[in-house]
Amino acid sequence: MRFPSRLLAATTVIFLASWAAFTVVLVAVTLAVHFFGDLTHSAWEAAATVPRWYMVINGAMLIHSFLPLYIAHGQTRRQFGAQAAVAALVFVPLVSVAMTLGYLLESGLYALLDRPQVLRQSHLFTEPSQVHLVLLEYVVEYLACFAAGMFMGAGFYRWSAGGLLTIPFGVGLIVLGLSAAGSDFSLPLSSFALGLDLPRGPGFAALTAVVAFSVGLALTWGVIRDVPLRNKV
Amino acid sequence: MRVDVEDLVLRYGTVTALDRMSFGLEGGKIYGLLGRNGSGKTSLLSLLGAFRKQTSGQVRVGGSPVFENPAVTPEICLVRESGECTDLGSAEDAFYFAEWLRPNWDGDYARSLLDLFGIDPKTNVKSMSKGQRSAMGVVVGLASRAPLTMFDESYLGMDAPARQAFYDAVLADYMAHPRTIILSTHLIEEVSGLFEEVLIIDGGKLLLHEESTTLLSRGHAVTGPVGRVEAFTSGLTVLGEKTLGPTRSAMVYGELDDERRRAAAATGLDLGPIAMQELFIHLTGGPR
Repeated sequence: MRFPSRLLAATTVIFLASWAAFTVVLVAVTLAVHFFGDLTHSAWEAAATVPRWYMVINGAMLIHSFLPLYIAHGQTRRQFGAQAAVAALVFVPLVSVAMTLGYLLESGLYALLDRPQVLRQSHLFTEPSQVHLVLLEYVVEYLACFAAGMFMGAGFYRWSAGGLLTIPFGVGLIVLGLSAAGSDFSLPLSSFALGLDLPRGPGFAALTAVVAFSVGLALTWGVIRDVPLRNKV
Repeated sequence: MRVDVEDLVLRYGTVTALDRMSFGLEGGKIYGLLGRNGSGKTSLLSLLGAFRKQTSGQVRVGGSPVFENPAVTPEICLVRESGECTDLGSAEDAFYFAEWLRPNWDGDYARSLLDLFGIDPKTNVKSMSKGQRSAMGVVVGLASRAPLTMFDESYLGMDAPARQAFYDAVLADYMAHPRTIILSTHLIEEVSGLFEEVLIIDGGKLLLHEESTTLLSRGHAVTGPVGRVEAFTSGLTVLGEKTLGPTRSAMVYGELDDERRRAAAATGLDLGPIAMQELFIHLTGGPR
């Protein structure tokens, strides 16, 4: 199998631009709160929901945009599935590294501002300086989010509105991944939160991520293995 | 690249789109696929292009089954109006993936076609005009140099000069790089000159598959004085007629044997060819 270099390049370029924009906005918000309000906690942590949704949407778009492209260019669904899986396994750690770097940048900024980088939520780590645990937590969360996005994206591509039926399973995968990392599934601009009471620890979290990603891939494959290409004009 | 279809059935729920269709196409020819709206053209091409799986029957390209067969699918290119190959950023972005996924991709040719159709490679495909988007599909289809290349009405959005440029490009590239080309179209008169063989399908069934010249030989325009034309065409299948003063031109369907031809000449009637479109309309049952 060929390494999905161009698939990765396309998604990575968009991600890096998005990450840069996200970082700039967060720095601006942090400085605004520092100068005009009371900066008491980590802004990077508070904004964690945004990149999770980004990963869900990215997983969905991978199917929605690239599956038809691959098939139309003479690749099989199996070839696409394998390339998408490899691309996800490279892309998720890459995003996780960038997000971990964000914590470190924030540490530097808070030090400059003479503010403590206090965390409000439970994590696999206690300090943002525990880089390996921060990275692991992101990988665990994003693997689950990306796989869930792929499955739901496949469902909507194949069944249109019938794809709504895939949402409970997708949310289940996300909840599993986030709970293993010590977090909850929440909706933007809402106090709604959903979590499972799971054992804590890096080993269990890593195992859960592998399970969530594998289940998500298997479900996605079940949907796309003989999916017809839509004829939208 | 040879194409063989045997007892092919495709159903969408309770609707039968293709009904036990069978035919074989030799490689290295340009085929016209004609049919009315809903006749099953797009369904058939979707199966040939592995865009969907048949309900039953066989689709073979180059002797091998098509669906999910990585040995065959890279040899096939189906271009539709829906823009699967092109609706991803700019024209350059589309080429970035085509070059990577298509084994016979010719990037220089693709860029020359962009120039021909006046497309800026940096323009986002989704923001292009309908004609330009159609042209993008045509560019990807031709530059893929796939041994089986199919265009499913993918050039209908182009204006007349652009369509003519497309027909010229198809013919020139086919001569330089012979392959099997299938053109599905409603613009029969414009394209029929390219067809070596024609398939007409109707109601999901194959109505006719023969050489273009054979099909055209079944129709004749009989022109002459009204009375003589009436007498000559009596008992023949008349597809239509036009009268201008004392002169009438009637289109008739069916073989004319030597005796008939001699009779026409003896009575001063002119016999000429008729358009493929007239034959198509007749064969598919006329206006509905």
